[in-house]
Amino acid sequence: MSTAVSAAAPAVAQAQPRYAGILAGAWRRFRRNKLALFGLGYVVFISFVAVAAPYLTPYTYDKINPSIALQGPSWSHPMGTDILGRDMLTRIMYAARPMLIVGFATQLAGLVIGTTLGVLGGYLGGAVDWAVSRLVELFSALPWYLIVLYMVMVLSPSLKNLILALTITSWVNSCRVVRGLSFSIRKLDYVEAARALGIPGWRIVIYHVLPQAIPLLLWTFAAGIPTAVFAEAGLSFLGMGVRPPQPSWGQMLADAGNYWMYWPHMFVFPSAMITLSVLAFQGLADGLREAMDVNVNI
Amino acid sequence: MLAYILRRFLGIALTLLLLSIFTFVLSRTVPGGPWLQGVEIPQSPQQVAAFKAKYGLDKPLWQQYLVWLRNALTLDLGVPFSMPEITVSRLIGRLLPYSALVGGLAATLAIALGVALGIASAARANTWLDNVITLYAVFIGTIPSFVMGFVLAYFLAAKLGWFPTGGWGGPRHLVLPVIAYGLPVSGGVARWTRQCMLEAMGSDYVRTAYAKGVRELGVMTRHVLRNALIPMITNFLPLFPGMMTGSIFIESVFGLPGLGKYFVMSSTNRDYPMVLGITMFWALLIACTYLVTDILYGIIDPRVRIAEKAA
Repeated sequence: MSTAVSAAAPAVAQAQPRYAGILAGAWRRFRRNKLALFGLGYVVFISFVAVAAPYLTPYTYDKINPSIALQGPSWSHPMGTDILGRDMLTRIMYAARPMLIVGFATQLAGLVIGTTLGVLGGYLGGAVDWAVSRLVELFSALPWYLIVLYMVMVLSPSLKNLILALTITSWVNSCRVVRGLSFSIRKLDYVEAARALGIPGWRIVIYHVLPQAIPLLLWTFAAGIPTAVFAEAGLSFLGMGVRPPQPSWGQMLADAGNYWMYWPHMFVFPSAMITLSVLAFQGLADGLREAMDVNVNI
Repeated sequence: MLAYILRRFLGIALTLLLLSIFTFVLSRTVPGGPWLQGVEIPQSPQQVAAFKAKYGLDKPLWQQYLVWLRNALTLDLGVPFSMPEITVSRLIGRLLPYSALVGGLAATLAIALGVALGIASAARANTWLDNVITLYAVFIGTIPSFVMGFVLAYFLAAKLGWFPTGGWGGPRHLVLPVIAYGLPVSGGVARWTRQCMLEAMGSDYVRTAYAKGVRELGVMTRHVLRNALIPMITNFLPLFPGMMTGSIFIESVFGLPGLGKYFVMSSTNRDYPMVLGITMFWALLIACTYLVTDILYGIIDPRVRIAEKAA
């Protein structure tokens, strides 16, 4: 893992400050990947649906109407209705909200925490690095879903606590990346020169170390989103994420519970949405990796 | 080598210690407790106090932790609150076979299928076969196991009736969970295998082998695969404990009585001893697998041993 990161460092270090040319080149490489383009389109589309959901449907996600319960797809309910007679399409649309919030919020917060700790550990070294490394080891000792599951259970299940727990587990990857990178960069000649000129440590970190980490960090951010989407669906499926009546695809799948055998529309649509979303974000992350020429295995 | 293993063991011990403190403190500092959950009749303060005294929950936190730690070192993980007639270690021992069977078989399926597909797609790189396999790997890898479980159960169990839809009762009950759990992972395995193979295929010794007149099959099995195996083993071995712990979702879809299901149940009931026990057991299992992987790495790759001697 560390060898892969240090191998990537020279490739990143070659980047010249001709940002316009770099962006154009990145976009050209990104465009070549069809799955990445699909991912980008899907993310734009689903974000629009999530924001505009109230204007796109005549129904609400929590209006119970037992007289039309468990109807298959029809013109008035394109995805059918659930056990309480709520419109499935409406619930599917509203459920894009927790998916996007969890996906972006946890990765962004994890990125900030991970970068800070990684720079501190990698650049300062010594006791700080030791402490950061132990913390990383602690959070790598168990698969993230166990830690998240346990924390959400202890803190009581809710969207807020799910985000908190996922943030606490998602900083590890960006921390590893940044730590490895600042560790190797701090020994490079130009950093040595900057230090000799008397430039304070924080300036060296901001102007010389962090810019090199941007492509890697962007990719870590993008690559973490599919995991977060999966986590939100999985934990809501186990009844530990979004609380009813707020809909979530995982929770809708759990609701399909005893009825899916006879009313397949109850599991088909949430299943399809979860899979499509993971696929789209995965494609987007792969495309970004190719576009930015990042070479890592985490 | 011995010093290395010893150092690693110390590292594992330290990590487990930190993890146990983290889990322990988190479980006891938040409001609520086992006496508040699942109780039909509200308990009097005296009853709560009696419960706390019985399990030592009235002592200061650090004392509780030290008592737990002392017992845990002798493999005595306490008694689950929800099942006082059995010890935590015993209950783990009773539940482990289900998770180990489902996770182990699923990991075997994922590795067998993934490696075969990965080798095929690397050997025929940039042909239609490679494209089809890569497409399969990307798509199958994005399907969560619980979604896959529903889809398989609907078609193969509910519609065709070939397999039972859930529960436990023999090999036939295992087929669907194992496939649903293993197939998505095979995608990642195939991608990784392909990458390892292609890296080995691009090296000088492969060109030399071809130049010597070695046939493709010989080059592939004796030169490429042998070298590609090293990064593959280090990546695939941790799949076994990883998939044992990850069977939470699939156990819940198919109603299997494994460790994952009990972990969720115990967390809901705030069954501290059980949660702590399962957490520590899993962490130990995973840490040991990584250690074995690293030792194996030194055994199968002579270069690592030489580098170590030189150092």
